[in-house]
Amino acid sequence: MEFNVLIGGEGGQGAFSVEMELTEALTRLNYHFFATKHYMSRIRGGHNFHMIRVADHPVHALNGGKWEMVVALDDETEPLHKPDLREGGLFLSRAMTKEIADEGKKRFGEIRSANTALVGCVLAVIGVAPEKIAETAESGKKEGYLKMGYDFAARWNIAGAFPVSAAAGCPVRFDGNQALAFGALLGGCRFVAGYPMTPATSILHYFSEAARELPVHFEQAEDEIAAINMALGASYAGVRSMAATSGGGFALMQEGVSLAGMTETPIVVAVAQRPGPATGLPTRTEQGDLNFILHAGHGEFPRVLFAPGSILETIELARRAFDLADRFQIPVFLLTDQYFADSVQVVEEEDIPLEPGARECPALDAAYKRYRLTEDGISPLTFPGLSDARVKLDSDEHDEEGKITEDPDLRKRMVDKRLGKIERLKTEAVMPTFSGALASAAVILCWGSNRLIAEEAGGRLTAEGIAVSVLHFGQVYPLTAAMVAPYRLEGKKRICVENNATGQFAGLLKRELGLAVDHSVLKYDGDCFTVEELYQTLRSLLA
Amino acid sequence: MEPKIKTGWCPGCGNFAIRDVLEKVFRELPVPRNKIVLTSGIGQAAKMPHYLDVNFFNGLHGRSLPPAVGIKLARPDLTVIAYSGDGCMYGEGGNHFIHTLRRRLDITILVSENRVYALTKGQSSPTTGLAVKNDLTPGGNPNRPLNPLALAVLMGAPFAARGFAGDKEHLAALIREAILFTGTAVVDILQPCVSFNKINTYAWYRERVFKLEKPPSDRYEAIRTAEIWGEKIPIGVIWRDDASPLREIKNIFETPLTREDVASRLNMRCVMMR
Repeated sequence: MEFNVLIGGEGGQGAFSVEMELTEALTRLNYHFFATKHYMSRIRGGHNFHMIRVADHPVHALNGGKWEMVVALDDETEPLHKPDLREGGLFLSRAMTKEIADEGKKRFGEIRSANTALVGCVLAVIGVAPEKIAETAESGKKEGYLKMGYDFAARWNIAGAFPVSAAAGCPVRFDGNQALAFGALLGGCRFVAGYPMTPATSILHYFSEAARELPVHFEQAEDEIAAINMALGASYAGVRSMAATSGGGFALMQEGVSLAGMTETPIVVAVAQRPGPATGLPTRTEQGDLNFILHAGHGEFPRVLFAPGSILETIELARRAFDLADRFQIPVFLLTDQYFADSVQVVEEEDIPLEPGARECPALDAAYKRYRLTEDGISPLTFPGLSDARVKLDSDEHDEEGKITEDPDLRKRMVDKRLGKIERLKTEAVMPTFSGALASAAVILCWGSNRLIAEEAGGRLTAEGIAVSVLHFGQVYPLTAAMVAPYRLEGKKRICVENNATGQFAGLLKRELGLAVDHSVLKYDGDCFTVEELYQTLRSLLA
Repeated sequence: MEPKIKTGWCPGCGNFAIRDVLEKVFRELPVPRNKIVLTSGIGQAAKMPHYLDVNFFNGLHGRSLPPAVGIKLARPDLTVIAYSGDGCMYGEGGNHFIHTLRRRLDITILVSENRVYALTKGQSSPTTGLAVKNDLTPGGNPNRPLNPLALAVLMGAPFAARGFAGDKEHLAALIREAILFTGTAVVDILQPCVSFNKINTYAWYRERVFKLEKPPSDRYEAIRTAEIWGEKIPIGVIWRDDASPLREIKNIFETPLTREDVASRLNMRCVMMR
């Protein structure tokens, strides 16, 4: 049983507040849900819509079918979304939402009471009893607003129209950027610098909030060049650090990435992708920066790219990113996208790791050499001011001590030292996630945020007798033969699903593993895939 | 006498004098040597840390300041000094120069000011005078020079000074005062480039520099002083404001992050759409 609702309105009208309050209430009521949004690059006006899927089982993607309910806060919602209402679905017209607003204004003298009332109304529709609804209120005032919403539902005879039972155990709510910031904190990240850029800004927001209470620091930089250089400075000084941005900002950070590569300074860079080129579609989604990030920064140096596909995987990989960055003294990238960043999902509290990672800070002596040539290419890492060791970091090619050199032999040995890490990194690669049957005739290959959409679409097809498995890569670089060896991909029809126009990941699979895909399913209009859409596309390919 | 060191500088370069001064200041500073971090960018001046016994972060061109900010914020116990040339600090890094001054951190910014791009062999820098002929501006520099100290005082730097590489004793006192000053301190150091600047030579400066007895007590007077350039060039402390409040930095390096800290971040309010 599930219930899909769309709330449409102008920017600044309250649709976002409804989504936020509703997802908070659903979490408190132990519901499984998934929520995402479609919004314009402006502050007020335009037409935004918020989509919430509530179910009695875990859901992690947009259904993409018809809506059980559409709520109109503006005039555009009706022509745009009412046609997608299912038979017997509920349409709360502009007039009806206005009635709620007018009543709220009259009764409470507070226009914003309407947002909370709409939450009460929607909760009533999915069959939440009035006393349970009241329990979700943060204050007596809000309790009154929720009650008013419930009363409207009762009056309109829609209470319990689409009952959904609350089946989650102890859910914790995250949006994608929250999961990333949380995972970074868990990874022992103590310093974040950034410059606001949609859709990465909320990562910075969560860190700036954390910095008010916890021993972490957030610095708003004058530009992205400064941001990554500040983070590198903090890392050099001894704390795990991160820079977070989107593609355009990352373009400015590239020289810093190269600096991290040359100086072997650990750093994590989070890139929440949005459609480019240039300013592109600032508030929409795309996976168009894979090749860019793979090749970002001049010169040759090792790196790792993670592109998590779920909340828990984001937390785990963000934590791992800091550990890897430190142990290998390399830049590690976390790729997400606007869709994932702005989607809210729940995970069970007991599954969330809480033990933070920390950096080791050895005290060495005056004989210390920052770039000592060792067997495994990894030089001991320490930080200034902890001992007699002088920590000398240089963006020029350098000798073991960290001083400028132009010696050809030393240059070659330093390059080999740095690049030699790649083979060791491969032995620690994060294996992809396989779901479905090994014997399936077709496999969906995907990365990043498409994982759970693909898994649900594949599951639907499998249930219909078209066996489709999904292989999702949380680590997109480096790729290793061992990652795909267990899954008998040669014998399967291979379909790569990506949010870009050129099939960048398919190209990478070919380049790195010699693995050709039979079809690329690509979407690059700025929207995410829905389960229904992907299911239909795959069905036409496979049936 | 310091042992002779190999450097990448030209014979007679003003940077030698500054190196000697820094070595002396560091030796006499009431700060353990291992707590000093020098950041620098790229250019002939930016090679400075390589010739001193200190921790250093020799980063990218124009970027001596952002790492200095990151280091200070992560480790307030360290004495952080950024050192680079005028091209690096005021050209490629001009934005960082302006904004670092806003951050109210205890950082010292030393600029080796030779009014020319030397490492790339003689192009105009942000401080090159109007109509001066250089490589790439063979018809004369069409731009007016940037005034770093007037800019620094205007942007609220609580300490701004001008030194001259030709007067080591005076320069040592200035740099020492700047490092010990609590707050962002800028010292612009006139440093003759013997290879590419045939105008602003040692002799040219010696005819013009005069020492300020004490800094002006009024900020606008300080800006006016910073603008004196030509027949007479003031050196010394141009502005010093001991009342300028410093930003508080918490000690993130020594405070452990706990399981409870992490758990406190669960179920935070979503903001998104940013």
